Amino acid sequence: MSFQIACPNCGVRPVWEFHYGGPVTSSAPPNPTERQWGAYLFDKPNICGEQHEWWVHRSACKTWFTAKRDTRTNTVLSTAMHGEG
Amino acid sequence: MSASGHGVEFTFDGQTIRGVEGQSVTGALHAAGQHVLSRSFKYHRPRGLLCGSGRCPNCLCTVDGTPNVRICTTDVQPGMQVKSQNRFPSLGFDVLGIFDWFHKMMPVGFYYKKFYKPRWMWPFWEKFIRRIAGLGEINQARGGEGHYEKLNLFTDVAVIGGGLAGLKAALEAAEAGASVVVIDDQKALGGHLRHDPTLKPTDFDALIAKVTSHANIEVYTSATAIGAYEENYIAVLQGKRLIRIRAAQAVFTGGAWERPLVFTRNDLPGVMLASAAQRLIHLDHVKISGPIVIVTDNAQGYRTAAQIVAAKGSIASLIDLRDAPPAADTDLVRSLSIPVQAGRTIVAAEGSKHVTGATVALKNGGERRTISCRWIVQAVGFTPAISLLYQSGCSFVHDDRLGHVTITKFAKDVHAAGAITGAHDPSRAAWEGRRAGLAAAIAARPGDESLNAKRASLESSAPPATAPGAAPAAAALTPETALHFVSPGGEKKKFVCYCEDVTQKDVFDAIDEGYSNIETLKRYSTISMGPCQGKMCQASSVALCALHNRQSIEATGVPTSRPPETPTPLGALAGRTPHFVLARRTPMHGWHERAGAKFMDAGNWKRPERYTSPEEEYKAVREAAGLIDVSTLGKLELRGRDVVPFLEQMYPNKYADLKEGRTRYGIVCDGGGIILDDGTISRLGPDRYFLTTTTGNADAIDSWFRWNLASKPEWDVTLANVSSNYAAMNLAGPKSREILRGLTTADISPSALPYLAVGQFDIVGVPAVVFRIGFVGELGYEIHVPAEHGLYVWEKIYQAGQSFGLKPFGVEAQRRLRLDKKHILVSIDTDALSNPLEADLGWIVKFDKSDFIGKRTLQQCQARGPQNRLVGFKMADDSNPPEASLVLHEGRLAGRVTSCRFSPAAGTHVGLAWVPVELGKDGTSFNITIDGIPHEAIVQDAPFYDPKGEKLRS
Repeated sequence: MSFQIACPNCGVRPVWEFHYGGPVTSSAPPNPTERQWGAYLFDKPNICGEQHEWWVHRSACKTWFTAKRDTRTNTVLSTAMHGEG
Repeated sequence: MSASGHGVEFTFDGQTIRGVEGQSVTGALHAAGQHVLSRSFKYHRPRGLLCGSGRCPNCLCTVDGTPNVRICTTDVQPGMQVKSQNRFPSLGFDVLGIFDWFHKMMPVGFYYKKFYKPRWMWPFWEKFIRRIAGLGEINQARGGEGHYEKLNLFTDVAVIGGGLAGLKAALEAAEAGASVVVIDDQKALGGHLRHDPTLKPTDFDALIAKVTSHANIEVYTSATAIGAYEENYIAVLQGKRLIRIRAAQAVFTGGAWERPLVFTRNDLPGVMLASAAQRLIHLDHVKISGPIVIVTDNAQGYRTAAQIVAAKGSIASLIDLRDAPPAADTDLVRSLSIPVQAGRTIVAAEGSKHVTGATVALKNGGERRTISCRWIVQAVGFTPAISLLYQSGCSFVHDDRLGHVTITKFAKDVHAAGAITGAHDPSRAAWEGRRAGLAAAIAARPGDESLNAKRASLESSAPPATAPGAAPAAAALTPETALHFVSPGGEKKKFVCYCEDVTQKDVFDAIDEGYSNIETLKRYSTISMGPCQGKMCQASSVALCALHNRQSIEATGVPTSRPPETPTPLGALAGRTPHFVLARRTPMHGWHERAGAKFMDAGNWKRPERYTSPEEEYKAVREAAGLIDVSTLGKLELRGRDVVPFLEQMYPNKYADLKEGRTRYGIVCDGGGIILDDGTISRLGPDRYFLTTTTGNADAIDSWFRWNLASKPEWDVTLANVSSNYAAMNLAGPKSREILRGLTTADISPSALPYLAVGQFDIVGVPAVVFRIGFVGELGYEIHVPAEHGLYVWEKIYQAGQSFGLKPFGVEAQRRLRLDKKHILVSIDTDALSNPLEADLGWIVKFDKSDFIGKRTLQQCQARGPQNRLVGFKMADDSNPPEASLVLHEGRLAGRVTSCRFSPAAGTHVGLAWVPVELGKDGTSFNITIDGIPHEAIVQDAPFYDPKGEKLRS
């Protein structure tokens, strides 16, 4: 993996300065069954194609933001602060 | 033509060889008559110079202790010690050469088929195989190969390959204003024109000089690109240095690999590629003595023949595969009286340790004739060096008209020019280079209109793309059309893969066994998986696969190329990067050093592990006072309207009722109820909260909090990581209050500053935040002061404590002290499966809170009942179980020890262990296995020291 990500704070930096936070998921279901709760915690989608994800610029400004990435080519299509993109 | 320059003496297998400065080791060995350079991997057959350009496996030697060095691209150095590999006892006589006689017993994939029956024989075979497998011997002396280093480069344009196309590309891009890095695997720029002067344009040396001296261009020679990764991140190996290039645009101009022909005994020393012969003549300036047979299907063979004659070599015969060679080719040798035999091919090399003759036949077989010769030089075409382009994400197809692979789709920001695209004609290669360099510069630095105009005029002046002579048919490959890759007749000892000794018969057998796809064929036969990584065998293995499957080369496909493109020492990848490794030191570090502290690593931190002895330090804390540097703790300050609801969400216990001036222990759990960290939460002001985390998890918790805040942008919480702003020290022990009293005017009496209180007052004139907490189980003060005053405050406390018996203590004493109290260390006593209910921290989980992270999961755990328990234990005997010792119960693995130390308070070894709940009740015995022997341990709920916590609260 050597692709680059545009941190909303710091600009384009190599991926190893960042940490992956998994796909952006909807909030917990209101009254989940045990199975639903387990699925919410552990069954993360792993989309083949464009995916909306959490990333943190851990080696620099520590900002958490979201990115749209094509998981087939590792092309980062856009990045934004959460709720802004 | 003879070599001139200073003589250089070196040794080969102990024998002194005299070479000339600037000569390659193989060149010097050739001149000295040493034509066997190694023994082959499987059959231990003698091997000699084949490619001469650092691609094939034949010249791998150990040079000055470094194994697997290609001596054909290594210059002779005075005193250099070169040793041949894979032979015993010597190159001339190798006892394992016997494998060559038993090749019938070692068919393709034999290691999958033999050795596993009977099973009990495997340990014997394994020892034997491990001893004989592999190439070279690792220098096991520490640093024996010297240091490996890394270099990072950032550039607009990276040009990989410094031949004609690459030089033109580099110059064009640099002239357009781009910064350029040129990488070439040979010791000098120039590509194949260095050793093929017939093709060299007149201004070529001037071009090289221009590139080398251009202000925008950096040149790296003897540097091999080993991998191309996403977004033009290119790894380059240059000696003991790994260069990592990030380029906005990459231009691949790596040229082509000359490929060998597959015929009987084509691996004999004396059989070489035309480019190897050219390199001997033009680069090493040595003579090729004895009659030479050339086999060719293109102009390269004729050029080489003319150059050999000019260098006073003698050509016995020139064999051309083509029935009617074009006049353009034959004109090159017309006046040289070289016997040309068209419509024929070579079917076998004769000889046992060196070529003594070449057997030639008509292409369809028939009459065979052996020509006496010492050398067989083959010039049967090129394979574009596409592996890096493949790794970059380009797509390819085999072009039957050109007779090799071409690019159908370029990856983003990737360009190519020259022989790599099939442009063998110098004028076309130069034009392609200019075009690629200009395109890369425009893409890297857009906005210059004049460049676009230049590009348009360049496009209109394209020289024609010419196809080389050879043209295999489009449909299924027939023995006739396959002749450019493989000669007719026989299947044995026709080596396709020199690295792994794979013959044509092996390839056909593998296909017959069902491995008919080029990818499975590659894995099963290990073809193209050796040191050459397919540079010698890719074209012929694809052709043979097509031939035996009766399909076209296009349908057979292009095998996947993966990094590393050339064998890479692990040292290069692991090489030191001192400037990237953080070493964090606390403000008091220098004091610790002067006090003789022995340091340990705690993440990036350097912490005193001990000063004198942990026993002495332990005693001081229990009986008088101790001082420990805890500056490494993570420290977070939170402010804002929503801090309380945020904390309520993040921690399982309650903080809404935390009063100003009070501190409270807390743990952080994730959604699965797993313990992430522990620490203290203190309220310093009405809306000001101060949190500590453990040293090891400081960054993770900071990130965890920020993530939770980022996902709730509506919350008014400001988080500041103040870890480095404060130095912190823990003054602990029965005398600590008396010591501190002399250093402050503040009232620190038990009523003014009781257990779990936080005070903000001056200590020796420095503003401090003081927490009445006690990890080590004594009356204690955790003192945080601005980092710049840390050393001053530490020294003052230390001096004031001297008359009370205060000693500094390190991490080891602290671990013993805390274990007495059964205080856990997160990430040591807990792991990624530990929840607070099982880790004896159930009291901290407040299910009556509306919500907190992990609540739902912990409720389910509660309902199901705990499975395991983290318990304190003390040993019934005087044994000392090491950490991670196993707890066995009824013969089964039931748990493990996480911490264990000798406790003077308990008079025995005490510790913490995970055990099943049925073994976890107070007073229960369980067995800890030490060196296979069970030892009794007894569960104890109460702390081993000061069970009521009176000292802590005093």
